[in-house]
Amino acid sequence: MWMAHSSSPYGTKRIALACFALLLVALFLFPNQIQGLSQYLGGPVGYAVSVPLEAIASIDTGIADRWEQYVALQGVREENQQLRKENEWLRGQHSRLRESAAATERLTALLRFKEQALPTMVAAQVIGRDATNRYRTIILNKGESDGIKPDMGVVTPAGVVGRVVKTTGVSSVVLLVTDPNNAIAGLIQRTRDEGIVEGTQQGLAQLKYIPLLSTLRDGDRVVTSGLIGDFPRGLMIGTITHIDKQEGALFQSADLMPEVDVSRVEEVLVIQTSYGQSSKAGSGADLLEKPLP
Amino acid sequence: MKFFFYLILVLLLVPLQTTLLPHLSVWNIKPDLGLVAAALIGLFAGELEGLLIGLTIGWVLNLFSAGELWLSLLTNGGVGLLAGFLGRQVSQVTSYSLGGMLLLVSLVSGLLAAINFKGLDISQVWWMAESIVVPQACFDGAVGAGCYWLLSRRFDLTRLRTDRMDGLL
Repeated sequence: MWMAHSSSPYGTKRIALACFALLLVALFLFPNQIQGLSQYLGGPVGYAVSVPLEAIASIDTGIADRWEQYVALQGVREENQQLRKENEWLRGQHSRLRESAAATERLTALLRFKEQALPTMVAAQVIGRDATNRYRTIILNKGESDGIKPDMGVVTPAGVVGRVVKTTGVSSVVLLVTDPNNAIAGLIQRTRDEGIVEGTQQGLAQLKYIPLLSTLRDGDRVVTSGLIGDFPRGLMIGTITHIDKQEGALFQSADLMPEVDVSRVEEVLVIQTSYGQSSKAGSGADLLEKPLP
Repeated sequence: MKFFFYLILVLLLVPLQTTLLPHLSVWNIKPDLGLVAAALIGLFAGELEGLLIGLTIGWVLNLFSAGELWLSLLTNGGVGLLAGFLGRQVSQVTSYSLGGMLLLVSLVSGLLAAINFKGLDISQVWWMAESIVVPQACFDGAVGAGCYWLLSRRFDLTRLRTDRMDGLL
């Protein structure tokens, strides 16, 4: 490389440096205000960007569907047989659970529990993944204009996906349950012990702050506790795969295998109002079983 | 004309980065096209345009990411500005020098992001640096160098840059 012997236009250089320095100072001095301003200005930009984003996402989905329909049919017969067996087992399980549900209903009526309203949900499609490699997020095709706001919970019929962290007019960013920056209040279904579910660097999840006397074991299922945040109680988060109990520690922790494969999720439900805030009636299972548009 | 080129670039960068690139990722690592675009614009159009387009790219990409705004603006705006200076001070920029600069900027930005993560201990920061930051920096450097090499095969880049500098003088 040779050094150029040309005189540089100091005016341009100074303006560029001054603008940049000013912006950085403003960002450090007033981070919330600048973030708010950025979100406000980002509204129309979000609309403009969403047009090519949705177009490319639909082409991408179309190609993926074709691939699955015509090319990736290998092993479908074996998979079909396995699914039939699983279906039979689930039917048996379903009838047993219906019995339990009926019994619970009778007991609830006996105890005169206050009837809980069900959460209102809005269905959305995944149209992209995080622009960087550092966060585990997905981008949805619904935003503020559909009533989606930051901190709302995002689920699939299988379980928890994450929570909304950012919105524009027609899109929103969801921080996945496997991201280390995410924290959801969890409950071990069998022992009823509570803890906090956080993502790990390796793309799994971890249940932290479990009481030391808890008798949890591998295979225990962890659900949302419904105490903090916008998740109703009882949504599946994952299954315990490994317990970490250290000598002298105040709490136990456990590794979780998330119930939802967040790397493959295509459609989700955003919880707009949690239990007790909605005016709609019905059953939670009905809501989760609704087909997505 | 230039304005429309930049507008289309910014509008297409988001779907490219968020929808198509995940399919082309290697070990779940994808290059940062915003960084590469800002560097190339800074190199050919000067520091002011590099800075402004870099800031715009950083801001728009940040709308579709959970990342911090300041880091996105600092990285993309900074690389546009740096590339502008590089283009002015160094008479013969090669794909290696551009790739090296991108690698360094990406490395610094990734390390800043890792340190900025809440609740990570030193071993987790190290894991993140080792498995995400360094591979991504190498990827960004390689993609930047590759783009510059491809452009140099198609256009007389030295002349392009000299014309721009003559116009400013």
